[in-house]
This record gives sequence, structure tokens and C-alpha cells, in this order.
Amino acid sequence: MIESYLIEKMFNNAPFLDEMATDQGKIHSHWERIARYYEQIGSEKMRQFQEEVSRQLRENGVTYNVYGDPDGMNRPWILDPVPMVFNSEEWERIEKGLIQRTQLLNLILKDLYGDQKLIKEGLLPFELIYNHKGFLRQAHDIQLEGEQQLIQYSSDLARGPNGMMWVLHDRTDAPSGAGYTFENRAAMTRVFPELIRENHVRKITSYYQTFKNTLSSLTNNKENPRVVLLSPGPTNETFFEHAYISSFMGFTLAFGEDLTVSGGYVWLKTIKGLEKVDVIIRRVDDVFCDPLEFKNDSHLGVVGLMEAVRQKKVLVINPLGCRVLENPGLMAFLPKISKVFLGEDLILPSVATWWCGQEKELKYVFDHIETLVIRNIYRGTNHKSVFGGDLTEEQLQNLKKQIQRNPYMFVGQEMVDFSTSPSWINNKLEARNAVFRSYVVADSENNTYNVMPGGLSRSSPEKGAFLVSNQTGGISKDTWVLGKPKDVISKIPKIVKSQPLVRTVLPSRTGERLFWLGRYLERSAYAVRLMRMTLLSYNEADEDIHIHETPVLSTLLKTLTLMTGTLPGFTEKAILKNPESELLDLVHDVEKPGSLAFSIQSFLTNAFAVRDRLSLDTWRILDSISEELIKMRQSENSLLKAYHNLDNMVVKLMAFYGLNIDNMTRETTWHLLNIGRFIESAVNNCTILRGMLSKSFDTESNKELMEDTLRCNESLVTYRYRYRSNLEMQGVLSLLILHEDNPRSLIFQLLEIDSHLKALPNKDEHEQFGIERKKLLEAITKIRLCDVTEISTLDLESNEYSQLIILLDKTIELLHETSDLIYQKYFSHTGSAYSMIQTSIIPEI
Amino acid sequence: MNYQVIHITDYIYEFPAALCHNLMFQIPQDSEFQKVDKYVCEISPKPSSEEERTDFFGNKYLYFSVERSHKKLTVTSQSVLKLNSPAWMKVDPKSTMAWEKVVEWLHTTKAPNEVRQYYLESDHVKFIEGIKEYTLKSFTPSRPIMEAMIDLNDRIFKDFAFTPGFTDISTPLEKVFEHKKGVCQDFAHFSLACLRVIGLSARYVSGYIETIPPPGKPKLIGSDASHAWIAVFMPEQGWVEFDATNNLLVNDKHIRVAVGRDFADVTPLKGIVYSGSKQEMKVSVDVTNLDQDYLLN
Repeated sequence: MIESYLIEKMFNNAPFLDEMATDQGKIHSHWERIARYYEQIGSEKMRQFQEEVSRQLRENGVTYNVYGDPDGMNRPWILDPVPMVFNSEEWERIEKGLIQRTQLLNLILKDLYGDQKLIKEGLLPFELIYNHKGFLRQAHDIQLEGEQQLIQYSSDLARGPNGMMWVLHDRTDAPSGAGYTFENRAAMTRVFPELIRENHVRKITSYYQTFKNTLSSLTNNKENPRVVLLSPGPTNETFFEHAYISSFMGFTLAFGEDLTVSGGYVWLKTIKGLEKVDVIIRRVDDVFCDPLEFKNDSHLGVVGLMEAVRQKKVLVINPLGCRVLENPGLMAFLPKISKVFLGEDLILPSVATWWCGQEKELKYVFDHIETLVIRNIYRGTNHKSVFGGDLTEEQLQNLKKQIQRNPYMFVGQEMVDFSTSPSWINNKLEARNAVFRSYVVADSENNTYNVMPGGLSRSSPEKGAFLVSNQTGGISKDTWVLGKPKDVISKIPKIVKSQPLVRTVLPSRTGERLFWLGRYLERSAYAVRLMRMTLLSYNEADEDIHIHETPVLSTLLKTLTLMTGTLPGFTEKAILKNPESELLDLVHDVEKPGSLAFSIQSFLTNAFAVRDRLSLDTWRILDSISEELIKMRQSENSLLKAYHNLDNMVVKLMAFYGLNIDNMTRETTWHLLNIGRFIESAVNNCTILRGMLSKSFDTESNKELMEDTLRCNESLVTYRYRYRSNLEMQGVLSLLILHEDNPRSLIFQLLEIDSHLKALPNKDEHEQFGIERKKLLEAITKIRLCDVTEISTLDLESNEYSQLIILLDKTIELLHETSDLIYQKYFSHTGSAYSMIQTSIIPEI
Repeated sequence: MNYQVIHITDYIYEFPAALCHNLMFQIPQDSEFQKVDKYVCEISPKPSSEEERTDFFGNKYLYFSVERSHKKLTVTSQSVLKLNSPAWMKVDPKSTMAWEKVVEWLHTTKAPNEVRQYYLESDHVKFIEGIKEYTLKSFTPSRPIMEAMIDLNDRIFKDFAFTPGFTDISTPLEKVFEHKKGVCQDFAHFSLACLRVIGLSARYVSGYIETIPPPGKPKLIGSDASHAWIAVFMPEQGWVEFDATNNLLVNDKHIRVAVGRDFADVTPLKGIVYSGSKQEMKVSVDVTNLDQDYLLN
């Protein structure tokens, strides 16, 4: 395995250096042990390890969202079992270089939002800064306590042809990936424990410890700070890590709509009411953070946040304004500034950069455009980097015109031949170009910076491809720094005595999602059961029957329409006669509200949005439900196939619930999940009884319908056991409505709702018995008072069980009212629709 | 000249709003040719928080929030000020610096950043196709900057038709240039683009203008409303103001409130309202010449 890699390296990898092999086909000393290990275990074992790594990550629910890809939501995260490796001598230099660069960028940041000496003295061109959209005028003169303004810093590094590590990009706004780094390391540690131990791979945990300490020392609330991680939401590409970091660090995961500004403070809207926020770790881009002062159509931010920052009542990390440093044009000026500010040369060079805002540099870029990468100084979705060599003559001319119009908006950068690193691809080691992302965090107690000894490396899936990004399908790698540090540069953080206490709070929006998670769980489960019954009956029926004349089948179909809320559906005669396509739609069609696919998709969406509240094992089940849904949607248009899928689905849905019973703590989250779940079951229970049993047909059909109704509620066995008799209306109704010890009975479901409501935090001190519980009590009392003989008596005139109908309709109505009241009481402040209003045009001038 | 200005803005919501956060740029400040004797701002309902601040461009503004249910928000700004004839009224336009010299100076570190920032493009002031050529017809080689500017102001006034309702705040400058129609804001944004595209520093000025027309003379456009014009930086004179809408070198009838790169920096009142319903906005401005009132009485 190693041999062939070395041969390949010597003969076919000519322009690139390699991380493992020398040009002479020898192995670098720090790779020797690792290479030997691979050689020992062989390809087959390596393949198994790779699968094991993937399984670990998948089961931990590690995903990455890809924009603009229909199946891109939650793409599994791909990890190469072969790491990126640094020896301790080289790491020492990288670490020193990163600390120096962070310190330098920090000084630049402080200057740009303060005296602007750099511009006044000509060390930075005015146009480079004032034209950059990351230079936020609103942030001028706002500074954190102390010297450090830049708290988190990341950069992408790669090894250039001279063997040195070069900085390709600086990330200073809301750097991502540290969460993935931790997951990668966790998976690698489980699969390669000895390899990691024997090579003395350094631990990376000090990064978050330092981060926590720094937050504690910067916030006003030293005792017990409330820290939220502000995420753009579940559709963001790195949402997984927002949830992961929140759980791991004890932060509350929040979206913009969860927060509000009042009296200059930022508040978190929780189920219990408003709670003050001390620190916001933001993963929302700068100008999206406050629609009042920046982009007024942003719905990801918090209105008034900037004013709260000015009043120093909340700490935002990284501070708003840091993005100005994510400006590739700066790279051209860093060496000089380093000399002036630090009196030092840059330890880590940046990739060679020419800023087009200067005449000489512009000419250079134009003369060498075919060998350069052209980038806008502001990174955004509209500004893609292009490699001049890939363009046609016409495209080149257009690009030149574009640059000519706004030269200061562009840089040309050298196309670096990054080194390759071995990657496990197609069951062998292949050389792929790799980029390493580093993570640096301020250690404000010691007024220095701490570098994570490791990080997130990525390699391109294609040979010789340079532009590595997860959006275009890169492969991630763990990064190993070998050996003990010779001389400790980054101090090992001490554990602060008063650690931020993790208080369990539940944002209202998360509460609302949990409620719906419960509702969609039951909605899906009931739909599956009724569909199974219906399909069985349909598949068994003779081909030449007239369905509309067959009481059982037509009743089942109509009930299905009623329960899924897809009227007119089978109540229309034409559809009832040829039910196949409507039935298939009800199973597969994810666009059709009420269909099974729709309900399961909604269930998964809600689960994803509260993923920080669910256990890892739960993720394993959700993953398999998601797979089952894909199978269900892909299965051909066959009702028989659909039937088999349904069987699998119901088991998995119940496993989800079972697991939560087993491991969810009995807190507000648990109660809200159950309130949703039991409201939905109670409503479905009523609807099925209403649809199946309100009319009388011939004796045989009546018997069959009663049997199906019991089956739908999984109570047929109970019935037989209890009554040991033929099916009778009175017994069936008694079991499904009145028996308080039957978990499938309506009264049981109502009482469950009440007991969970009772356990929720009471917001109104004067009211012992909340208004929503009063409404529910009315339903409970109605059921308890009802006379079972009365509801099971057939009204001969209409041939209907009219008392039953009245009771069920009233119960459904009361349940809807209860649900509305719960909404008002606990989730109403999730309503966050807002709009921009401004003096439009100056009137009549 | 002594003036009183009363500027009232009403937001009326269809359904009550629970919460709103606002920024208000309506506080006039003392400057070389303007002295503010009195400024009062009244907000109803009474704000829950209020902070007066100074922005990046040196303007005073007010942040306020109303954190209780309300169906209507009223902001009343009342000011009394004294305007003097600016020094630039006495400058001989022919004696000013050649405009290219000004451009050259602006692009060195000798010019302060506070001045340089106004030669860059901004959201509403873009360097559109053809605008440079338009400007260069007035800014001929070595022409004194003020003379060239007066000529440009005059051309814009003559080429563009003052047409309320044709544009709104989102209308791109291209459309204004193509149809040569707009209101004072468009005239100001267009003038700014003309000047910045050739490298001069020019900024947006928001404010008010006097209302009563002299007998027998046409009424000045822009009566009883807020107004916008521009200021151009000339190293020897400082910021010199021009009003293309009225083809004027600004004298003592323009009341200055705020300056910025364009309208977006100095929107008189903007806010975010938490309510799903429609809103309606009414603005009224009254400018009274106190000297004339005194004479009449």
C-alpha cells in the first residue's frame, strides 16, 4: 500500500510536495510509525476502519448542508481515515506564526475602528478599507475591555512549493468548523486508539476551555453568565455544529427570533418568560445581525442588538466589525505593518497578493492574469473567485473590464501548488491536495492567544483540484500534531473556579418545535396504521368490485381522507371509484399536506431543529426514519410495495418514542413533546371513531369495521382478552373511549395531556388552574359523564349513532381550543413578524 | 434669517404593534453658518428607552424603542435656528482651484479620511454608464472647481424634470438618468455620482427649505417638506453646498439637519415594527420665517 504510494509520488506527482513522502520516495520521519501501521493492517482492514469512521459520524448525526442541492440537506459529513500530520518542530513555528498573525490582525482591527493611523500614515490604502463592506461604520469607537478585540480567529493554510506553510485565507467574522474538528477527533479516537496514543497526538480540548475562560472574564456577569449561540437556523450549512457546540459547551442554541432587545438588554424568550442574555456567540454574518442598523430585510438577527452592544449590556463574539479583516487585499500590506507594529517579520507568509487598487500592481495582474486567481476583496455569494487560466479570451476581457471599473475591489493571487497528503480513496492511498484550517482563541486572562493543536483539514475529492470547499464536496481530515510541546507557548488554561453554570432554559421556539414534533409523530403513526388497514383491505378486494358499494372499504377510505385532512379526497365519488392514485399520493407525495410523506418530513424537520435536545441514540433512529422515507418515496408506484414500507415505518416511529421514554429527562422538553403527542392521538382517536363507527351497515360489515377500528388503535388483542366475546358496539366504545387504564382510550389520552400541562412552569401566579387546563377539564368531564349505552344506541331514523357523533365532535372542538390556548400561553411570543418602516421618499419634493 | 421648523411624522398601524425600535435623524446641529437656538423632540407614546448618539458622519441621532402595544406613533421635532449667509457666497468662482488639483490632493493621505470617504461609491450613488461623460462637459480641463460646479448644477436643473411620484427610494440611478426625472433626492444622488465619479468628495445633506415665495416670484419647489441637496469639498473653502433641484448655490434659506454618503445614512425616521399588519405613514413639515412673521405682526 505504502510502496505503491511512494512510486506514484516519485513518478506522477512531480509538481507537488507531499506531506508523507520526500521527492526521493522516502517517508518523512514523523510519518514513519503511521505508515508502518497502515502497512501492517493492510487494505482490507483499512476499508473496514473507514466504514467504521463513517458509521461513527453518521450515528452521531454529523451532517453538513449543501445549498442549492435538493438532496443537500443534511449531507453526511465525510472524514478521511488518514489524518493530516505535523511534527512538533514544525508545529512550533506554525503556532508562533498564528499567534503573531492574530495579534497583528487584532492591532489592525483596533486601529481601524479607532484612530485609523494605518490609513493616515499610508500603511493601508484608504480605498481598501472604506470600500470593504465588512468595515462597519456603526461599530466605530466600540471596543471591548482590554487589548483583545479579535476573540476567535481561523485561517486556511497550505504548504507551498518552498516547503513553507502559507496562509490562504483569514476568517475573522464567524469562523466555522471547530465543532466538526471535535467530532472528527472523537471518531478517530474510537477507531484508531493505539495509533493516536503511540504517536502522542496532542489533545485539542484546551481550545474550548480557554474560550470559556475568556468569555467569563469579558462578560459583566462573572458569576453566572447566560451564553447563547446565535445560529441562522437549521438550513444553514454548518447548523450541525451550532447544535453540537451548544450542547457541548452548555450554551443555549438560539435563533434571531428567540431574542429581543428591551431596556438596552438582550432577552431570551423562554417557556418561563424572558431571561437576560449576557453573551452572544454569533454564527450569523455581521450585517445580518441587526435589521435596524444593517440589512433591514434580515430575519436572522436581533432588532436593536447594535444599540445593546453600544450600551455594553451584552457581549457579542466575535464583535461586529471583525469582517473587515477578511479582506485578501490586506495580505499585500501585512509584512510592512508587522514591521511597524511588532518590529518583526511575518513568520507565516500569506499567499502572494497584488491589490489592483495600485497602478503597478494592477498592471502586474493584467499581465499575468492567466496564472492568477482573481478575487473580490469582499467574500460573498455574488463574488466567486476565478482562476484566470480557466477563462476564455472573451471572459478574460470581461473580467479585465470589471476590474478596470473598480480596481480597488479586486486582488490577484498566486496560484499555489499546495502539497498533497495521502487520502484513503477507492480503497487505496492516493495523493490529494490538502488545506488545513487552524483555530485560535483569545486567552484574555494572560492577554495572549491560544492555538488549537490540531484543526480541520480538507482535501479535494478530485486529483489536482485546488479550490477545496465543503460546498463543492471536499473530504475532511483530522489534524494531528505529534509529540509533546518543547516549550509551552500557549499556556494550558486552568479551570476557572466559577464555571458558567448551565441552567436549563427552553426557548419558546424550541418548545413550539417539540410540541409539533410530538404532534407529527402521532400524526404519522396514526396515518401509517390506518393506511395499512386500508391497503390490506384494498389489496385483498376482488378486482371487479364497486368500491363505493362496499361499505368497509369505502368507509376506510373516507376515514383516511377525514383523518389526513385531505378533503374532498374519497368523499368524491369519482375518486372513490378509482382510489389508486389518491392512495399513492397520500403515501408518497411529500408536497401534499396531510400525506404520510409530508407528516414524516415535518416530523424530521422539527426533530432537526431541536437536535441539541435529543440524544445521540435518538439520532440513529431518526437517521433510519429518514432513510425509510427516501425508500418510500422512491418505491415504484405499487400499493403492495407501499404496504411493506408502512410496516417498517411504524416500528421505527415507535422506536423513536420508546427511546425518548428511556432517556429523556422529565423536564419541560419532555412534557411539551407529550402534550403534542397526546393532543394529536386524542384528535385522531375521535376522528377514526367518527369516520368508522358513526353509521350502521350489514352485520358482517359492522363487525369488520369494529375490528379495523380496534386494530387501528392496536386494541384488538386487549378487546379479545377483556371481553372474550363477539364484537359489540358498547364494548368497543367503552374500551376506546372510557377505559382509563387503556393507553389507547380517549380518556387516557386526555388525562395524559392534563398531567403534562400541570408539570409545565406556571406563568400566572394567581391562577392555580390555567385556562388551558380548564378547557381540557371540560372535555374530560364530558367523557366521564357520558353514558356508554346512550352513545352505543343506534338512531333508527338516521341509521347513525347520533349521540356518539355529538360527543366526538364536541371533544374535537374542545381539543382544538385547548391547543390554541396552550399556544397563546407558551408560544405566543415566538410570533416575531416584523417589518421595516422608514420615511420613504421625501414627500412631494 | 431666523426660522422655526416643525416636523411631524405619524405611523399608523392597522393592528396594534407590540414593539418598535427606531432611529431618528432630525436633530439639527450648530455649524459655521447655522446656530440652533432650540430643539425639542416629542414622541408619543412615550418611549421605553431613548439614547441620543453621534454617528460616524458626525450627526446627532436618537435611538428609541416603544415597548408597549400602540396603534399610532407620533414623532414631533421642533427647532428654532438662525441662518447666516455662508462665506462661499462671496467667493469668486473663477478664483477657485482647478478641479484636477483638488482630485489629486484628495487622493493623498494629506486629505483627512472624513473628507475622503465621500469620493467613494455608496449604495444609492453608483458610477453608472455615461455619467462620467456627462460630468466632464462641465468639468473641462483645468476649470476652477466652483465655476465647473455651478455649470453642472445648472445643467442638471435644466436637463432633469422635477417629477414627484416617478421615483421611490429603490429606483436605481440608471432609471433617473435615462428618464431625467425625479425629486430632490434623485437630483442630489445624481449630482453626487457626477462628482464622485471624477474623484471629487461630495456628500448628501438633508434638511428643510423656506416656504413662503416672495410676491410676484415663483414659489420655491419643496415648500413645506423636507429637502435634500449636496455639499462639495473644496480645500480652500471647505464644504460648499449646491441645490440642483432649485439651481442654487445654497444661501441662508436651507436648514441643515444631517450629512451622509446618501439618503440611507440619514433617513429622517426609520424603524422596525413588530406587527404583521400594514402601516401608513404621514409626514408634515412647516418652516416658518420668524423675521417675516415679526414684520407682518
